[in-house]
Amino acid sequence: MSGSRRFLLVLLVLLVLVGTRATVHAHESQPGMLDIEQLAGDRFEVLWRAPIYFGQPHPAHPELPASWTTVAPSTVRELADSQLFRSIVSVGRAGLDGAVIRFPRLESTTTDVFVRLERLDGTSMTTVVRPTKPWAQLRGERSWRASAADYLGLGFHHILQGVDHLLFVLGLLLIVEGRMTLVKTVTAFTVAHSITLGLATLGYARAPLAPLNATIALSILFLGPEIVRRWRGETSVTIRYPWVAAFSFGLLHGFGFASGLSTTGMPRAELPLALLFFNVGVEAGQLVFVFLALALAKAFRVLELRWPRWAELLPGYTVGSLGAYWTIQRTVILLGVLR
Amino acid sequence: MGSLAGAALLVGHPATAAAHLVTTGMGPVYDGAGHLFLTPEDLVPVLAIALFAGLRGPAAGRRAMFLLPPAWLMGGLIGSVLRVGAPASTPALSFLVLGGLVASDLRAPVAWVSGLAVIVGLVHGFGNGAVLRDGAGTLGLIGIVAMSYVVVTLVAASVVSLRVPWMRIAVRVAGSWIAAVGLLMFGWALR
Amino acid sequence: MIRRASRRSAVLPFGAALLLASLPIPTSAHVERGPATGFLTGLEHPWSGLDHVLAMIAVGLWGAQLGNPAIWILPVTFPMVMAMGAMMGLLGISLPGVELGIATSAILLGAMVAGEVRPRLAVAAVLVGFFAIFHGHAHGTELPPGQNGMLYSMGFVIATGCLHAVGIAIGLLHRWPAGRLVMRGTGAVIALMGVRFLWRALT
Repeated sequence: MSGSRRFLLVLLVLLVLVGTRATVHAHESQPGMLDIEQLAGDRFEVLWRAPIYFGQPHPAHPELPASWTTVAPSTVRELADSQLFRSIVSVGRAGLDGAVIRFPRLESTTTDVFVRLERLDGTSMTTVVRPTKPWAQLRGERSWRASAADYLGLGFHHILQGVDHLLFVLGLLLIVEGRMTLVKTVTAFTVAHSITLGLATLGYARAPLAPLNATIALSILFLGPEIVRRWRGETSVTIRYPWVAAFSFGLLHGFGFASGLSTTGMPRAELPLALLFFNVGVEAGQLVFVFLALALAKAFRVLELRWPRWAELLPGYTVGSLGAYWTIQRTVILLGVLR
Repeated sequence: MGSLAGAALLVGHPATAAAHLVTTGMGPVYDGAGHLFLTPEDLVPVLAIALFAGLRGPAAGRRAMFLLPPAWLMGGLIGSVLRVGAPASTPALSFLVLGGLVASDLRAPVAWVSGLAVIVGLVHGFGNGAVLRDGAGTLGLIGIVAMSYVVVTLVAASVVSLRVPWMRIAVRVAGSWIAAVGLLMFGWALR
Repeated sequence: MIRRASRRSAVLPFGAALLLASLPIPTSAHVERGPATGFLTGLEHPWSGLDHVLAMIAVGLWGAQLGNPAIWILPVTFPMVMAMGAMMGLLGISLPGVELGIATSAILLGAMVAGEVRPRLAVAAVLVGFFAIFHGHAHGTELPPGQNGMLYSMGFVIATGCLHAVGIAIGLLHRWPAGRLVMRGTGAVIALMGVRFLWRALT
């Protein structure tokens, strides 16, 4: 009884802490998109989808080459999660091969931008602009290695920024007992989220973002009590077969990963490559996190750390409370969307 | 005479450290973590105190693990308010003292480790504070502090777990390298 | 898993290595060129003179022959004494006949290895320290303009340490009689090369 009361207390404190400052914006910032489509000759349509960044219009804006002239004035459409800027430009006689588009102020954000160029002759190119490299050079074709490295980095970044996914993995680690079970559980999670990531990316399945985020939060909340149960030496289905929970919730998380890989308008031929390397990047990031957590746990044992009782319970309560907080927050968002 | 004046100048002169953090594209916390890894002036002292604490055993390792990061955070917060950099000689001195301690494998009491961890954290954190003020801010500082915690914990535990005698010698050799670099840095500064 | 003690596991060093390997990747593009080249310059400097390379390998070999405690006292103290020599150079204290000194130490150290001479530890330490000062004086001060002194120093010290490690690794042969012969032969070759360096420095 006192355990559940303490849980509520910790939950309350965390709610206040997290609620006062909106630091935990897991997955609310979507990638940006810049679409350049040839209309005729030197006329191109430029479409810039700027995601809403932490509740504000995005600070970065593409800077087109100076030699380009705007033919039709740009229009803005306000969408629920983004702003859509559309303009028509003339690239001049030199053509647009080798032109560089810069994204000032992108380097101070965490947003990735997909750039896609489509010509009338059917050729196209895609590239990813990152805060570490806030420009894109337009050219005919890109080597598959360059694209692969782009998507690999994208996946790696995506998982390491997804606090909710990492927290779920941490929760699994806290439940799992024994090395074989650990391997099975992590593999189950990996296989499951790869399946749904693939299905969603290839367009066979779709999950609306708002309910999805709420359910992902619910999966974290679900782990909280299980961790505490495990600490008390009790057992449950989840503790005995953690890979079952890892697999079923992994299916959900895969849809979440898919939201980081925006493929609208991506050339069909590039899709498998993007999917493969994005997934590899996600797994690499996940493995770095798992090994870091295990190495720290091992270090605590070597240093003969003896935690006080309240500190031993802290990870379980943290996972559970944050899960609960996100569930409430995202359900509110969901209801707001439905209304 | 000239070198004496140079030394006086050196101690009084604030460091002209890199004016901005590295950009990882993953937000200020990761930027801070990356900063520690790309700044040997800060990373090497963290490694050295971890090596020394590890040589002194699990209790010393625990002290370093719990004292260095908070001290670093405190130093960083003070540094970001005071708008002064740490003296330019700080890294050289840290290298020399900590490296020397690791190389000599001094049988110092655990309290020494605690004191050193607090001093190193305060001084180097103070230096970070000035850099962070114009860039990543407190979140960047938190990234640096978190990474210093991870590095100290992992390295100290690795050293504690060494059982083969020549591996401990290898740790001492690493300490002597650090001290030698510190000496050379003093030399460059005095030239 | 987190709570359960596993007996022996490679997770700890692996985790540390992983951390080191994974973090700087996305950021390395941002390191300015000057400092990074400073590190590389420092790294290749000790390898640039054959006399230095040979004398340093001789230090490692001799340490291996002398066994405990010399095998670890030498590599622990050498970098610091070497840095002292570099300090002297940086402070403007000139050391006459640096080339002569290094050639002489190659001859002496080579001869010690060739003869498997076992003096008292203090004598060995002085001999090696003598060489360390010359080595540091000759190489530690040659920072190319515009490069970072700290990174140059780190590269310089690491490269020197790796040369010792080469000597000590060859010294593992000491366990076998034939290996001992090979080591003594190596010492003789180093001493002969030292004579050649001395000749070149004098003429």
